Amino acid sequence: MRDHEADTTGLAPIFSRRLLGGLLLAASASRAARAADPIRLGAVLPLTGPSAATGTQQQRGLQFAMTRFNAAGGLAGRPIEILFEDNQAKPDQSVLAFNKLADLNKVPVIFSGYSGPTLAMAPLASRRKILLVNGAAQADRLATASLYLINTLPVIKDEVAVLARYLVETGKKRAAILFQNDAAGTTGRDDFIEAYTKLGGAVLGQEQSSFSQTDFRPALLKLNSLQPEALFVMLSDGLSALAEQAQQMKQDYLVCGTSFFADPLAMRHPGAVGWIHTQLRVKAPPEIAEAFQKQTGTEMEFFGSQYFNAGSIIFRTVGRLLDAHKEVTGESVRAELFAIRDFNELIPTSFKTNTASMQVDVVRIEDGMDVFVKSYTSE
Amino acid sequence: MLLLQLLVNGLVTGCALAVVSFSFSLVYSTTRVFHVVHAGLYTLAGYGAWSLERAGIPAWWGLVVLPLVCAGLGALVQLWLYAPLEQRRATHLVMLIASLGLLAVVQNAIAAVYTPNILQFTDPWRARTVALGGVVLTAVQVATVVLSLVVFGLTLLLTRRTLLGKRIRAVASNPFLAEITRLRPGRTYVAVMALASALVAVPGVLVGMDLGLQPYGGTTVLLTGTVAVIAGGIGSLGGAFLLSVIITVLQNLSLLVMPGQWSVGITFLVFVLFMLLRPRGLFARAG
Repeated sequence: MRDHEADTTGLAPIFSRRLLGGLLLAASASRAARAADPIRLGAVLPLTGPSAATGTQQQRGLQFAMTRFNAAGGLAGRPIEILFEDNQAKPDQSVLAFNKLADLNKVPVIFSGYSGPTLAMAPLASRRKILLVNGAAQADRLATASLYLINTLPVIKDEVAVLARYLVETGKKRAAILFQNDAAGTTGRDDFIEAYTKLGGAVLGQEQSSFSQTDFRPALLKLNSLQPEALFVMLSDGLSALAEQAQQMKQDYLVCGTSFFADPLAMRHPGAVGWIHTQLRVKAPPEIAEAFQKQTGTEMEFFGSQYFNAGSIIFRTVGRLLDAHKEVTGESVRAELFAIRDFNELIPTSFKTNTASMQVDVVRIEDGMDVFVKSYTSE
Repeated sequence: MLLLQLLVNGLVTGCALAVVSFSFSLVYSTTRVFHVVHAGLYTLAGYGAWSLERAGIPAWWGLVVLPLVCAGLGALVQLWLYAPLEQRRATHLVMLIASLGLLAVVQNAIAAVYTPNILQFTDPWRARTVALGGVVLTAVQVATVVLSLVVFGLTLLLTRRTLLGKRIRAVASNPFLAEITRLRPGRTYVAVMALASALVAVPGVLVGMDLGLQPYGGTTVLLTGTVAVIAGGIGSLGGAFLLSVIITVLQNLSLLVMPGQWSVGITFLVFVLFMLLRPRGLFARAG
């Protein structure tokens, strides 16, 4: 009995040590597993349908940013994972996708694109306190749609104000407008009228087109007859057809617009030579552009670079939260983003409000390339 | 001058639309199928011509090749889709839904293969302009007017002066009687579908060359075309042609008195009023 007791007493510390060791091992394994758990974020983009070309480029920009951050060790050792949902650029599909990402996947951040879908998701973002990050849409209403909506590029109003300033400075004080009848097009038209007339310009007339329209001849004929010095164009589609038809009509006014003109097909069209437009700084350093090309098989165009920038901003912010051992929620990401405020990613970006401010250039299209004309800073 | 240029533009657009309308009318009045896949074949023809151009073959060869290709596809649609449905006594609504489904397949396949972006032809001849009395037209616009009138004339000749034409008219007016008199309506349907599909390839190629290509672009064209078919009087090829031209000319000229955003709405309001006054259409067949 004694022996037994003695034995028991002798073995007890060993068992205790083993038990403790096992528990510690399990705890450390669990911590390691949690540390290796991916940080899951969501994205609701048009991956099929008429806007798929743009949506796919936006997806590539995010994936490229994710790959680079993951290759550098992830966020505090945890890999980033983005769950993509297709909304076909439709507001109703966007709401469904948002709810799926929020309810099933519990993501703290959702990337979006296109004004209509983003505006449809904005009230949900406020209610669910999930940070909605728009990296490309520019309708003015996005600036005030929700406290939980962050726009990583200026809204149209800021770009249009720069363009109006440039036109008046260069003596073009009589303009006509051709706009697309969607949220971005109509707000662009209204912003242009406001900014241009405030500076002393006169708007002689306006005509509208619909999404994916390619016959601009009737509208151009009517606007031509008003003899404007400049034609402000606010179209997100069909610019190459416009370039061709404007060239056939041998117009002698200046065609001008915003960064919507960054359509490679239109820029390469001879009819677009001499067009003026505002452009957000998007030129990627050669090594980044090459890496993007290598990973995605396409050039790093406007949307690729904007979503690379948007993704990098959010990953940097989430990384800071994790480094400080803070919980990653929509609220905390938003607060941290404003705490950092100035980001020096692909495009230097500053957040004084929900909408980023950055440098806006005025460029002229020459031989398929943008040639720098003048630079302004968006307000 | 603005009036004249808008008028001529309306005529050009109307001629292209007219071929879509009267070829659709030919199918509908014969088979009674609301053949919306017609819009898909119209779009497909444009993309086919674009592919030829990419392969180094002049795009205008599309005007020779694509009508043949589309004729074959149209015949297949009749043989593999409409005929089996008809054998199962499918209603007109079921036929329409099947046709809509196939249209969605065609459009999405085009978008998947060619991307949903607007594609432009690059052949410089099509963009050359001709000034006629102050009105500027491109080479393709001139070709559109000429070829539309030619195919319309040939179709009228075919339907009125040939044996096939007589068969088509017989089947259209009474398919049951045609069946018992061994006119074989099934074969006539295939022939009509092939003919209409070949016809619709012509504006499909020309409009694509003039304005560019978009996978979903054919739907609006067909919608306007069906309005012309109804307003012109179902079964009247001339009525469909004329009403197509009237609709597009009205849309263009309305720009003189109102902003462009109202032109489509006002044009169709006129159409609604017209239908209230003459519901059978302008050139409806008697009886």
